[in-house]
Amino acid sequence: MRVFLILLGKELRQFFLSPLAYVVILLFMLINGVSFYASISALTRSTSAHNIVTWMFRTPWFYLSYFAVFPLITMRLLAEERKLGTLETMMTAPVRASQLVLSKYAAAVIFYIVLWLPSLANLYLFQYVTAGAADLPRGPLIGSYGIVLLMGLLYLAMGLFASSLSRNQIVAAILALTLILLHYLVGFVAVHLSSARMLDLSEILNYIASVEHLSLFTSGLVDTRPVVYYISLAAFFLFLTHQVIEFRRWKT
Amino acid sequence: MIEVEHLTKRYPGRTAVDDVSFSVGAGEVVGFLGPNGAGKSTTMKILTSYLPATSGRVTVAGHDVFADSIKARRAIGYMPENVPLYDDFRVKEYLTFRAKLKGLGGRDCRRRVGEVMDLCGLADVRKKMIGTLSKGYRQRVGLADALVHRPQLLILDEPTNGLDPNQIRQVRELIRRLGENHTILLSTHILTEVEATCGRVIIIDHGRIKASDTPEALQQRLRSAGAIEFEAQAGAEEVAAAVRALPQVRRVLCDDLEDGWRRFTVRVDPGADPRAEIAALIGTLGWPLREFVRRQASLEDVFVELTQNQ
Repeated sequence: MRVFLILLGKELRQFFLSPLAYVVILLFMLINGVSFYASISALTRSTSAHNIVTWMFRTPWFYLSYFAVFPLITMRLLAEERKLGTLETMMTAPVRASQLVLSKYAAAVIFYIVLWLPSLANLYLFQYVTAGAADLPRGPLIGSYGIVLLMGLLYLAMGLFASSLSRNQIVAAILALTLILLHYLVGFVAVHLSSARMLDLSEILNYIASVEHLSLFTSGLVDTRPVVYYISLAAFFLFLTHQVIEFRRWKT
Repeated sequence: MIEVEHLTKRYPGRTAVDDVSFSVGAGEVVGFLGPNGAGKSTTMKILTSYLPATSGRVTVAGHDVFADSIKARRAIGYMPENVPLYDDFRVKEYLTFRAKLKGLGGRDCRRRVGEVMDLCGLADVRKKMIGTLSKGYRQRVGLADALVHRPQLLILDEPTNGLDPNQIRQVRELIRRLGENHTILLSTHILTEVEATCGRVIIIDHGRIKASDTPEALQQRLRSAGAIEFEAQAGAEEVAAAVRALPQVRRVLCDDLEDGWRRFTVRVDPGADPRAEIAALIGTLGWPLREFVRRQASLEDVFVELTQNQ
């Protein structure tokens, strides 16, 4: 635990003292703001069955920024250690691979949460400015940020795994984006299949894919099955990452 | 301190370390000498448990480096080749991080970081970013990192690689001082380094140990050990025949010098010293003589002899 906390401190320090972090935060805030604005204007143009929170996660702006964020957060984590050779100084100190992987993951998750805070502030600010006239529905609020956190847990684990495979950050980033998009786009296959009346297969894919989870959770419906699904799949990718780091230690 | 028994490391299609056994006792300063690619770094990576051995057993301070790796790592201060460091850390900050990681805490950590910075001459750069440091300073940061948790054993992979002559002198001086109360295993392909710092040399080539002895003993053991050289005015054939007739002489080489003199190099048996006989011979035959020296074999001769006789 002690070693984990020391490593976590080092990772957070590297996150928040690098210009990349602030570029990412700025970019994300900007697109989030546009997304927020788009959802407000959608609601002012016509009445809608959805509320402001649900709308925020349905604009193209959201999709535009959302998936790009993970590779940016995770590409550096292990690829850089490998490239600099500091993986060697790290693994010859009394540090276990699991401590290294978990500390990097935890730091990425913390950064990801920080990234989302301004968008939450947007909503509360809106409520404050309109003097409570705009209602923030509790269900969609909890559901939306819940699913964003869950998807984040998985995609950050995928990104970390991609970063463990290469010493080149660009390769790690592209690999991460590919994994994440593959996972996400399975949902559109499901949509296509359901329109082609292959309902069984479509239902199976819907269980795997994020599209359905996203639309359920953002409308305020919190289901426990995806919660277990995302956390266990994230754990699986962390396990894979650990194996990659330990791979060189396998007896040949 | 280090026990290596029948260590072999095979990469696909290549054997980097081939059935190597050696041991290093507490307090020894041992130089690991070999040409590039001889298996020095691989052996060191196995000793520090970064790479697993294909077969064989390695213990450091009584701990098996594979089965009991964390305990073994605590006993070792390791400086890898090319000294990997985080460029976005300040010197003191980095050393504090490493010290904590290796189990130091609180006041002890602060005091020890101050100590190693003084010892390695880093006090005036402690606030600098590592990325802006010169190669010499980086090397010292690496050394300070290796030292910071008071390890019994230091493993230094090419500690003077890429430094300028002044920096090399400083690092060597530091290693010599550290050798007074540490066990040190250092690798190098620079011969003078071993002569300057090590009590014992292990020469390794193509993954095999070629020799293991003190630098002095190695020089004496060299087969055509010393050579006697003299410059005289005489026929090459004449001298060769006369000198070769003496006992203990193996070979006579002759170089023509520009000014009509010839330089003769006489290779003799190990331990032999037929200088008096050769001098007497020159005297009786009346060759004009202007120089007569005995050249000790340097470690370089040993090295070349051992690593090129394939």
